[in-house]
Amino acid sequence: MGDRRRRRRLTAVATVAGLMFGAAACGSGSDSAGGGDPNTLEVWTRSNPDSAATYDRVFAAFTKKTGIKIDYQPVINFDQQLQSRASTKDLPDVMINDTALMGSYQSQGLLKPIAADSITGSDRITDKTWSTTVGIDGKHYGIPYSRQAQTLMIRKDWLKKLGLKAPTTWQEMLTVAQAFATEDPDGDGKADTYGIVAPGSAQNGYAAWWGASFLWQGGAKIIEKDGDGYRPTMDSAAAVNTVTWMKNNLFCGKKNVLQPGAITAVTSTATNFQDGNAGMYMTGPYNITTFDATPGKDKYEVVPAPAGPAGSDVLADGENIYFGARTGKTKQEQALAAFLVSAGGQKIAMTSVDGHQPVVRIPVNSTLDAAKVRDDARWSVVQKAYEDTSEQFPNAPDFAPIKQDTADALNAIFTYCGSDVSSSLKELNDTLAGDLKDQDLLK
Amino acid sequence: MTATVTTPGARRARVLSKRAVLPWVFLAPGLLLALVFKFLPMGKGVWLSFFKVRPFLGDKWVGLDNYTRVLTDHRFQDAIGHTLLLGIGMSLGGIVVGFVLALLLEGQTRSLKIVRAAVFLPVVTATAVVGEMWRLLYYPTSDGLINHGLSFLGIGPTPFLDNPNTALWATMVMSIWMLAPYNMVIILAGLAGVDRTLYEAAAMDGVSLWQRLRYVTLPAIRPALGIVLTLAAIRGLRVFTEVYVLTGGGPAGSTEVWMTRAYTLGFTRNDIGGASAASVVLLCVTLLLTVTVNYFRTRGDAR
Repeated sequence: MGDRRRRRRLTAVATVAGLMFGAAACGSGSDSAGGGDPNTLEVWTRSNPDSAATYDRVFAAFTKKTGIKIDYQPVINFDQQLQSRASTKDLPDVMINDTALMGSYQSQGLLKPIAADSITGSDRITDKTWSTTVGIDGKHYGIPYSRQAQTLMIRKDWLKKLGLKAPTTWQEMLTVAQAFATEDPDGDGKADTYGIVAPGSAQNGYAAWWGASFLWQGGAKIIEKDGDGYRPTMDSAAAVNTVTWMKNNLFCGKKNVLQPGAITAVTSTATNFQDGNAGMYMTGPYNITTFDATPGKDKYEVVPAPAGPAGSDVLADGENIYFGARTGKTKQEQALAAFLVSAGGQKIAMTSVDGHQPVVRIPVNSTLDAAKVRDDARWSVVQKAYEDTSEQFPNAPDFAPIKQDTADALNAIFTYCGSDVSSSLKELNDTLAGDLKDQDLLK
Repeated sequence: MTATVTTPGARRARVLSKRAVLPWVFLAPGLLLALVFKFLPMGKGVWLSFFKVRPFLGDKWVGLDNYTRVLTDHRFQDAIGHTLLLGIGMSLGGIVVGFVLALLLEGQTRSLKIVRAAVFLPVVTATAVVGEMWRLLYYPTSDGLINHGLSFLGIGPTPFLDNPNTALWATMVMSIWMLAPYNMVIILAGLAGVDRTLYEAAAMDGVSLWQRLRYVTLPAIRPALGIVLTLAAIRGLRVFTEVYVLTGGGPAGSTEVWMTRAYTLGFTRNDIGGASAASVVLLCVTLLLTVTVNYFRTRGDAR
C-alpha cells in the first residue's frame, strides 16, 4: 500500500516536472522579433482603430520619404502593455502618448533624453511648447507632437432662442446655465435641459482634469515649483475660493445647472451635450468631430472659456514623441521625429480622410495655422486659447498620484454639500505633500 | 507540446503501472493551463508584493513595506467596511432571491423553461453591459426607469448613485440581480433531488407552507446551499467589476471596495507592488473564509 502511494507521488512529481518543462519551452519560443532590423522602427501610439488609420497614413508618408520602415502598433491599454515590455528590457523605439505621462516614464527610466537641436526643424516649435518636455533633471525627455487646450462648446441655437450671448465670465456662465436649465431652450415644453456638462467622477482623475481650468482661472495651482523641488498649494486662499465657488454654484447650486449624475460621470458617460439636452461643455477640441455629427455643426459654437477672478487660463495637454531607452536606433528615431514635427508631417496628421479622427489637434509647428489647414475657423479659437491662455499640468514630476488625490478630494467636497472646503483642502494638501515626498521632490 | 508533456511519464511507464500514470496524463492539459494562467501569475503576484516594482530599472526589495502601507492607508481601511457590507449583502441577498426564484420556477412545463432561461440572462451578460444598463435604470431624473416608476407613487426622483448614502445599496441591488439566477440554478438542481414522497407525507400531516420549507425543503437542499455558500465566500469579497462599471468607487469614495482601491493603486498610480500586496491580503482573507465555510459545512454534513 505504502509502496503504491510512493509510486503515485513519484508519477505526480514527474508529470509536474514535465509540465514545467513544456511551459518553459513555450515561453522561450515567443521571444519578440523586434529590435533586429536597424532600418525598422517599432512605433507605439495609444490609439483606437479610428485614429490608428490616420497614423497609418503618416507613417506610410515617412517610409516613402526616408526608406525607414515602421512597425506600427496602435495600443489601447498602452501603459499595461508598456510595463510588460519594460520587464523584458526591450522597449518600443518610439512612443507617442500623453504629455502628462512624461514624469512617470522618466522616473521609471523608460525614456532617452533628447537634445532639442538634434531634431531637424525643432526651431519651429515655440519655447513655450518645448518647455513642457523638460524633466526633473532639466533635460528634455520628449518632443512635442500635438497640443490642445480646453474651450467652451455652447449651443448657439439655444442662446439665440433665449436672447443671450456667449458668456465671458463665470457669473455670466452661471446666468446662461440657469437660463438653459429653466427657460426651456429646446422648446419642448418640458424641464429636461441642463446648463453645463461636468465629468465630476474621481475615476481616472476626471474631477481634477475638468476642474483644473477653473483652478487656473481662480488663480490656484495644485503644486508649484520651489527651487529644485515642488510644494503643494491647494490650501491657498485662491484654491479655497475657487473650490467653494464650484461647490456652491455648480455641484450644490440651483437645480439642473449641471447635468444629472455629474458627480459620478466620466467623459464617456457625460454625453448630455451630444445627446442635445445640455447647453455648455468645457472640453478638448477632439470632441469637435463628434459634436459636428450630433448635436450638429450648425447648432453649437466654440468660444474661449469664461474668465474667472484671475483670468481665463485653461488646461492644455496633448501628446509627445518619446524615445524608448537603450534602443540603439537614435538616428532613425530622430529622423522620424523630425518628420512628425515638420509642416508636411503635421499636416497629414491634422487632416481627416474617410472620416477618421485626426491625431494632431493644434500643430506644434509654429508655421502652421490649425484653422487654415482644416479650413475651419473654430480651430483658431482653440489655437489662440493654447497659445495665449493655457497651462499644462506640471510635467516633470510623476503627476498621476497627484492628479488622482486631487480628484478624490474634489469629488468628495462636491458630493458633501455641507463639507468644510477649507479643512478638506488642507487635508488634500497634506496628502499631496506625501505624494511629493515619495518622489523626493517635496520642498 | 503534448509530446514534451508526456515524455517523462511515458519513460517511467516501464517501472510504474500504467494505471498510475493515466489519470495524470488526462489531467495534464488542465494542469498545464492552470499552471501557466493561474499559479505562475499568482506566485509572481505574491513575489512582487515584497518589491517596489520598477520593470525597467529592476525591482527593489522592500520587505513588508507594501503591506504596512496598504494596511495603514485610511482609504483601504474605509474600503474594508464597504467590501464587507457589499460582499455579505450581495451574497445573502443573492441566496435568498435565488432560493425564492428556484421555488417559483421549479417544474417541467415549457413556459417555466422559457421563464427560467429569461431569468438566467443576467448571468451570461457582460458585467460592463449590465452596469451601463443599470446606470440608465438608476438615471436620477424621471427619465430613468426606476425613478419613472417611483413618480407614480408620488416619490420624487432619487439620485441613487449620486448620493453617498444610497450608492452602495444601489450597487448591491444590481449585484443581487446578477448573482441570484446563478444561485437559482444550483438550488433548482438541489430541489429536483428532493424526495417527492416527503412532500406527500408532509401534506398528509397537514403542515403549513413554512413548516414544509423549514423541515423538508431546506434540509433536503443542504448540499446545494453548501455549494452556493462556498461560492459566495470565494466571490463575495473580491467584488470589482460591478462597482467599477457602475460608480467607479464614487461618489466621494462611498462605494470604494478593496479591489477598486487595489486597481487604482496599481494602474492609476503605477504602484504594482502595493497593488500586489493588497491582492495577497485579499487572497489570504478569502482563503481563510472559504476554509471556515467548508469546515462548518463538512461538520454539519457529518452530524
